[in-house]
Amino acid sequence: MSLVEKAVRRILDFGASESEAYLQSEKILWIEFDEKIECFKVIESSGIGLRAAVGKRVTLYSTSVIDDGSIEDAAEKVVKIAKIVPEDPEWRHFNMDLGKSSAEGYYDKSVEEIEHKRVAENVKLAIQKIKDYNVKVKPVRGLLMISTTKTFVANCYSEEFEMRETGVSAVVRVKAEEGQWKSIGSEHFETRFWKMMDLEEIASKAAEKALKFLKAKPIESCRMPIIIRNDVFASILGTMLSGPISADWVQKNRSPLSGKLKTQVACDKFTIVDNGILYGGMRTRPFDDEGHPTQKTYVIKEGVLENYLYDTYTALKDDVKSTGNASRGSYWLPPQASPSNLILEAGDVSSEEIVKETRRGLLVEDVIGEWLSNPVSGNVNATVTHAYLIEDGEPTTPVKGVTVSGDFYKMILEDLEMVGKDVRNNNQYHSPTVKFREMIVAGK
Amino acid sequence: MEIESNLYSILEKAERSGVSYADVRYQEHYYESILVENKVLRNYSSRKFSGVGIRVFVEGALGYASTCNMSRESLIRALNNAINVARALGKGGEKSLDFETNRAEVRSNFKVDPINVSPEEKISVTLDANKSAFIEDRVKNAATRIGFLKDLRLFMSTVGANVKVETVMSGLWHQSVAKSSMAMEKVGYSESKCAGFEFIASRDWNGFSSNLSKLAIEASEARTPPAGTYMVIVDPDAIGLLLHEAFGHASEGDLISTRESVLFGKVGEKIASEEVTIVDDNVEDGYFYPYDDEGTAKRRVVVVEDGVLRGYLHDTSSASKTNAQSTGNGRAQDFENIPIVRQANYFMQPKDYSFEELVEDVDYGIYVSGKGATGGQVDVGMGTFTFSVGPSKIIRGGKLEETVRGVVVSGLILDTLKTIDAVGKDLTIRTNVFGGCGKMGQTVRVGFGGPHVRVQKMIVGGR
Repeated sequence: MSLVEKAVRRILDFGASESEAYLQSEKILWIEFDEKIECFKVIESSGIGLRAAVGKRVTLYSTSVIDDGSIEDAAEKVVKIAKIVPEDPEWRHFNMDLGKSSAEGYYDKSVEEIEHKRVAENVKLAIQKIKDYNVKVKPVRGLLMISTTKTFVANCYSEEFEMRETGVSAVVRVKAEEGQWKSIGSEHFETRFWKMMDLEEIASKAAEKALKFLKAKPIESCRMPIIIRNDVFASILGTMLSGPISADWVQKNRSPLSGKLKTQVACDKFTIVDNGILYGGMRTRPFDDEGHPTQKTYVIKEGVLENYLYDTYTALKDDVKSTGNASRGSYWLPPQASPSNLILEAGDVSSEEIVKETRRGLLVEDVIGEWLSNPVSGNVNATVTHAYLIEDGEPTTPVKGVTVSGDFYKMILEDLEMVGKDVRNNNQYHSPTVKFREMIVAGK
Repeated sequence: MEIESNLYSILEKAERSGVSYADVRYQEHYYESILVENKVLRNYSSRKFSGVGIRVFVEGALGYASTCNMSRESLIRALNNAINVARALGKGGEKSLDFETNRAEVRSNFKVDPINVSPEEKISVTLDANKSAFIEDRVKNAATRIGFLKDLRLFMSTVGANVKVETVMSGLWHQSVAKSSMAMEKVGYSESKCAGFEFIASRDWNGFSSNLSKLAIEASEARTPPAGTYMVIVDPDAIGLLLHEAFGHASEGDLISTRESVLFGKVGEKIASEEVTIVDDNVEDGYFYPYDDEGTAKRRVVVVEDGVLRGYLHDTSSASKTNAQSTGNGRAQDFENIPIVRQANYFMQPKDYSFEELVEDVDYGIYVSGKGATGGQVDVGMGTFTFSVGPSKIIRGGKLEETVRGVVVSGLILDTLKTIDAVGKDLTIRTNVFGGCGKMGQTVRVGFGGPHVRVQKMIVGGR
């Protein structure tokens, strides 16, 4: 019997009516660099989260010490606490539908087997690439993270399920300086596969961006058409939709999308899919964090709100089936309904055409602070660090230091003019380049 | 300890593998917290984690690896990972560092191990304190959290260090939200101590929470002060927060070695009024801190003496880069992180004014209180700060008068320190079991504080 199955049984032995065990073990290579490698760490960590229900009293206890003795102690403790926490009147039961979906492309053996030396060489080459790019630029902060994760889930209704995932992600920040002019260029990339990670390419792009924006400056405040680059809008989508489409928010009445199922919440060019089985997606997995098979769910189809995202708890509350969206930040946290790979589906124009068809506007290439936008009120707000003014269909002057803002629901319902075909991911969020008829730009 | 002999053999193996230096850090960490909101238990969370971090130097290159599996096989794999990573970097630029060889076993004072106290008893204290906050119907919301920490750290190195530090901490946090016809105000505060459950048992938490409710009600009925420059009396909480954030970080050796800090190159210069002496040390009321995470004994550092900048805080790396000696300020959040320069207990030394003497010379000013402060922002390169402090009081004709809310203080820390003209004889140092200070993604618990301090000029903005 495996460790998690044993834990599940021991929790019942101590007097729980239901039990669940979730074990995760992870290996991370973590490399921080600037003009040289500053830190190269190999982290191996693991932990087990145990949940017990005593009737409608439910709780979680976790430990990173994984041996028979500790599991025994943890099982005893979780039941002891469960017996004294207050009842949750909404509680029904743990997930009874464990299993695997047809998901593929979430594990790459070559990531697990990569040699440290090869990783260090790669990073050194990327640093050199920046130094060779131009005398005006230098790397100021970079991070390469390579991970392999094993997850095991079992509960009192099912035997254990197991999966193995890999991930490679990088961020490179480059500074350019010329006289009194200073600028930063930043690039990121996240993938499941080692061969997809081209750190030198990321480094050159960051250097190029820093150089191009050396003399960027703010423009006057105005309202104008805004084109938002794919990965930037992907991040905005993540901030604005992750909470509101989660059944948890809807049931707690915090979501602006509460009570809007089957109604038009966006224009017909706007289709949002949560795809837990997307090949190679950063959150693609055969089962979610309570062992439920993952799936593809239409959230908004041609502007009509079709579905919320569910874990077992919220699904039972609404009398529907879980959409396989249970997610734990880590083994010591309880699962919550949240997106897997959240995708704005592609349109049919290229980003070049979108620019070409814009007489005057702002092409936003990078922002900061977009995560401070308010998903409850729908107020989108971001500080633009990299943008081009578009004049007569051509990107011209580089712009920085302005903010753009708008009402997200008005933006997707009334102002969305064009949707590109260049879908790209920013972690688990995916979007093509999009154009809005108008947003507010606050500048000089 | 069986773990100790396993780690010893890992260090021996490291030496045989040709490292110039290696250290291992074993940690065992328990954390428990219980949250009660509006008389209902919301959350009981309990977590245990442990593991080992191994740091090696091979030909001047640093390698690091960690594991939470304590089997011999897994420890050897971690050692090999660390060595392998260092070798992968090739010859490094680090000079050979100067590590201490202390041998010690110390633990913070505690009588009752809070982890062994029954959950029922902990819940009951928290629930009672929460209920006591509802003193009248203007109190709209009350949240109470109790927290306990037990942290064991064992440091061993190839130069012979063997330092074991055990810290036990207990505390309670409470926040009351009050609404009057004027406004809604929340006031949160916590009391923590490096002590066991006896600390919780010895205090009147019902009085603690009801007082915070009174303060929240008072604040909700108060006005905001007119914006302007005021003479202010700053209480120990607020001066502690201000010094830690706006000045303490700037005195951390790593920011000196990269020349990022506003204090770079200023040793020997007068940077504050003569009344000001600032110290970082291991002190009774603060966070228990006899040794750092590099096995270095904590030294008392006089950062500022009678207004003159005397020195910085260092770990072994920043000390070596600036030709100084480590002050025992190398700290890591846990065994998965590498130590960096951090403050321990950072505070201003008391002088000789009584509180009454400080206040009586203020014609018109503000008594700035840290209780209920909600945070702030600093720039260590420029030395600028902005803090939103708690409900405070107007001083008129040398007397404390009405309460004001929404007080935001800001300025340039080096200007502010120069206009301190009187320092009180009291000293309060606080620490916090619920959180700490963040830097480069690592959070560590700290202590801070000082006496009451009079500042001639501080910019105060209403909200």
